[in-house]
Amino acid sequence: MPPTNTAPIIEINGINKSFGAFKVLNDLSFSVAPREKLALIGPSGSGKTTILRILMTLEGIDSGEILVDGDSLYQMKRNGKLQPADDAHLHKMREKIGMVFQLFNLFPHKCVLDNVTLAPMLTKGASRKDAEHHAMELLDMVGLADKAKSMPSQLSGGQKQRVAIARALALKPKIMLFDEVTSALDPELVEEVLNVLWKLCRETDMTMLLVTHEMGFAHDFADRVLFFDRGRIVEDGKPDEIFRHPKQERTQAFLKKIIAAGHRV
Amino acid sequence: MGQWAGYLQLILDGAVVTIKLTLMGSALALVMAFLAGLGRLSRFAPVRWLATAYIEFFRGTSIFVQLFWAYFVLPLFGFTLTPLQAGVLALGLNVGAYAAEVVRGAVKSIGKEQYEACTALNFNRWQGLRNVILPQAFVLMLPTFGNNAIELLKASAVVSLISLSDMTFQAQVVRAQTGSTLFPFLTILILYFAIACVISFAIRGLERHLTRGLDGIRS
Ligand SMILES: Nc1ncnc2c1ncn2[C@@H]1O[C@H](COP(=O)(O)OP(=O)(O)OP(=O)(O)O)[C@@H](O)[C@H]1O
Ligand SMILES: [Mg+2]
Repeated sequence: MPPTNTAPIIEINGINKSFGAFKVLNDLSFSVAPREKLALIGPSGSGKTTILRILMTLEGIDSGEILVDGDSLYQMKRNGKLQPADDAHLHKMREKIGMVFQLFNLFPHKCVLDNVTLAPMLTKGASRKDAEHHAMELLDMVGLADKAKSMPSQLSGGQKQRVAIARALALKPKIMLFDEVTSALDPELVEEVLNVLWKLCRETDMTMLLVTHEMGFAHDFADRVLFFDRGRIVEDGKPDEIFRHPKQERTQAFLKKIIAAGHRV
Repeated sequence: MGQWAGYLQLILDGAVVTIKLTLMGSALALVMAFLAGLGRLSRFAPVRWLATAYIEFFRGTSIFVQLFWAYFVLPLFGFTLTPLQAGVLALGLNVGAYAAEVVRGAVKSIGKEQYEACTALNFNRWQGLRNVILPQAFVLMLPTFGNNAIELLKASAVVSLISLSDMTFQAQVVRAQTGSTLFPFLTILILYFAIACVISFAIRGLERHLTRGLDGIRS
């Protein structure tokens, strides 16, 4: 169900990003439609994580512009003039975006339930009762209601990642960023996390950006796939086009390598 | 025998003063440690400078001199302190400077990914610090805080020099009155050690309490 004819929810216009002398993103532009499920694939070091981190404001940009929901992410208007975003502006923009990390980044000193309730209570002023009620719904959705009182250290990797997803969802973001959320998991735990993503896809109308090395999943799940190499988009198209009929040599070479490594496409 | 009991009582009176000094000095040190330790991590340069100046100054001058300033020099500027107040002030500020580095080190040792989770969940800096970073860092600070408290206990003997009748002062009194060195100094040796053991024990208990159900923080 790729949406059509709607204003993009994310618009990236000519952004550049370097770490020291190393140029990670090179005049990068693309947009994402509301509700779109976008897979970002490409070789290691091509800048996929960096894009997500920039959208989550964990990393700034050197130049270019990013619009989220029509507002500039890193700039704000004051007295009719554009200025670098201040904390209040970033705070407002972050409300629209949630992120799930490769290594979960749960709070190890808080139980599962508190991991999920902390953000709504702190940033939205939710009462403990409301936050816990909503958290239990989310934990139920990810199949972990019975683990609410467990500490993260008592969970498997797959369970931790599902808690991390519930935690990000608790703020009701419009956009969710997933950075290789199954890469750190034992193979038999990957499925349970991917199932949660399918559930989100069916039951919510969130926009989802996924960086993944699970090519089979990307093919089935995404509305659109971006293939990155060296900080640029090499190919942009429907999953079938990218995976079955890649036009670019670099895409073909990458997919060949991935298949050789035993991944299903 | 009865005569020794009287002298023992003198020393125990001193022990009460020493314990008071240690508790109050540690409380002040704790406050200073967090103020200066977090101050050094502030994004505002003047706050960092102020915190650094405090830490370097109090680590770089002796507790003895600091105590004499607190007791004999401050009155010249109109701040007159009782010996106990001067002792608490000097000990608290001195040990606080060392403990500030402990706070800073522990906070810095918390992984970047915890800060990033805070940003991704839209916490402001204080919310992240208060709810995520400090609770984890505090567990790391505890063992060294215990050492700092024991250092403070031992350093507290310096107050006998401004004639505050702490344990060491009382031992000297007993020695002067009885001519015995062994009795008073063996007694306070044991007492200092006993108090230090209580501190160690309490800190370890607190640590165990705070790390229940938690791993992956302590390495
Ligand atoms: N904070 C940083 N400082 C310096 N270099 C960085 C930093 N973050 C990323 N890089 C570099 O930028 C490049 C792109 O990194 P990025 O993590 O975005 O790649 P990626 O496409 O996600 O790769 P992977 O598939 O391995 O996760 C890499 O070469 C990486 O070493
Ligand atoms: Mg990456």
